[in-house]
Amino acid sequence: MAVKAAAKPRHDQVFLLDRAKKRSSRFASLRPQVVSTITELRNSVAYATRDSLWVSYASDLTEALVRNASLATPSLGFGLFIHPLDMKTIPALGSFFRRIAFTIDGGFIPAEELAEVLESDNRPDLFIGGSVSHVTETITFWRGNVMPLTVPFSAFEKSGDGTRPDFNELSVIDCGQTVQLGDYEAAVDAILYEYDPEYRRRITKQRLREDQSFGASLRRLRKQRGLRREDFEPDLSAKTLARIEQGKVKRIHNKTFNALAKRLSVEPEDIETF
Amino acid sequence: MAFDLPLPHVLRKSRWKVKIRDKETREPPHVTVIRGTRAWRINLRTRRFMDPQPDPSEVPSEIIDLIMEQDTWQRLCDEWDGMYPNNPLSGEDENEE
Repeated sequence: MAVKAAAKPRHDQVFLLDRAKKRSSRFASLRPQVVSTITELRNSVAYATRDSLWVSYASDLTEALVRNASLATPSLGFGLFIHPLDMKTIPALGSFFRRIAFTIDGGFIPAEELAEVLESDNRPDLFIGGSVSHVTETITFWRGNVMPLTVPFSAFEKSGDGTRPDFNELSVIDCGQTVQLGDYEAAVDAILYEYDPEYRRRITKQRLREDQSFGASLRRLRKQRGLRREDFEPDLSAKTLARIEQGKVKRIHNKTFNALAKRLSVEPEDIETF
Repeated sequence: MAFDLPLPHVLRKSRWKVKIRDKETREPPHVTVIRGTRAWRINLRTRRFMDPQPDPSEVPSEIIDLIMEQDTWQRLCDEWDGMYPNNPLSGEDENEE
């Protein structure tokens, strides 16, 4: 689909710099303006906003974009460069876009999965690609919101069955939900939980709110009463109470139940309703 | 090594996957059902979905039945215990006192 001069794209317009029609069709759900000529590129630059998303599979069109962007609006939005990129082009791209994502070795997820991630509400929590640096022993992942996340090799500890990650075999699979390193497959949410404090806070809050277990109800009620775990001693140790709240205790004695209820000023059977 | 449960062709073609992945040391023992950008976690101790969202009813009954089938369930439990010997299915306390 070419850019028509008369039709101003939406503010959240996606520009797809690509000449492969079959691949372009996989982005159809994003309703992109497919740009395959220099003329179309110039028109697109003129209509871009700071919320536009540019996805480029064509290095010559990316280079033309840099040449034509000098007269553009202060920001072209977000740039995602799937093709191998000349390192010297990166500073220029960085000056025209709010954020850019690229890999030196072109390690992005397949086009149809990329389109699905970019369309997804939870795209910040999905990876779209990554690059391994053996020099620094780190992997930099790109998230669906074009934000980078760099994690050390040590994040991928040996599995209990002895499987070790192979850092020469990186790919992001399962629509951005899994990082594959040879036979080793790490859950992306586990990586985010460990290396993104904002994600960790958000997911912890959400899980506590959604948790319908007895332990979660007990914790919510204790917090509501303004009590610390130590406040249940000597009837119940803080350590045991923590294990109950974490769901690590399968059967709770009646005596314990009654002590909990008494301290919380509720009937024993009412605890799980909180 | 991550475990990928073999699924019937029709479910595979519909992009469903059932996995036990690495690096889930902080989570209770579970299996993850994956389709596209979404995932559902089933607790291997309680046999229940761990999260209210995405809606568990969106997972086809064929997948649930397959996971809950005795041999499959045992295999999933064994795979978890092999991958996470420090957080095994049997790691749950029977009694706190």
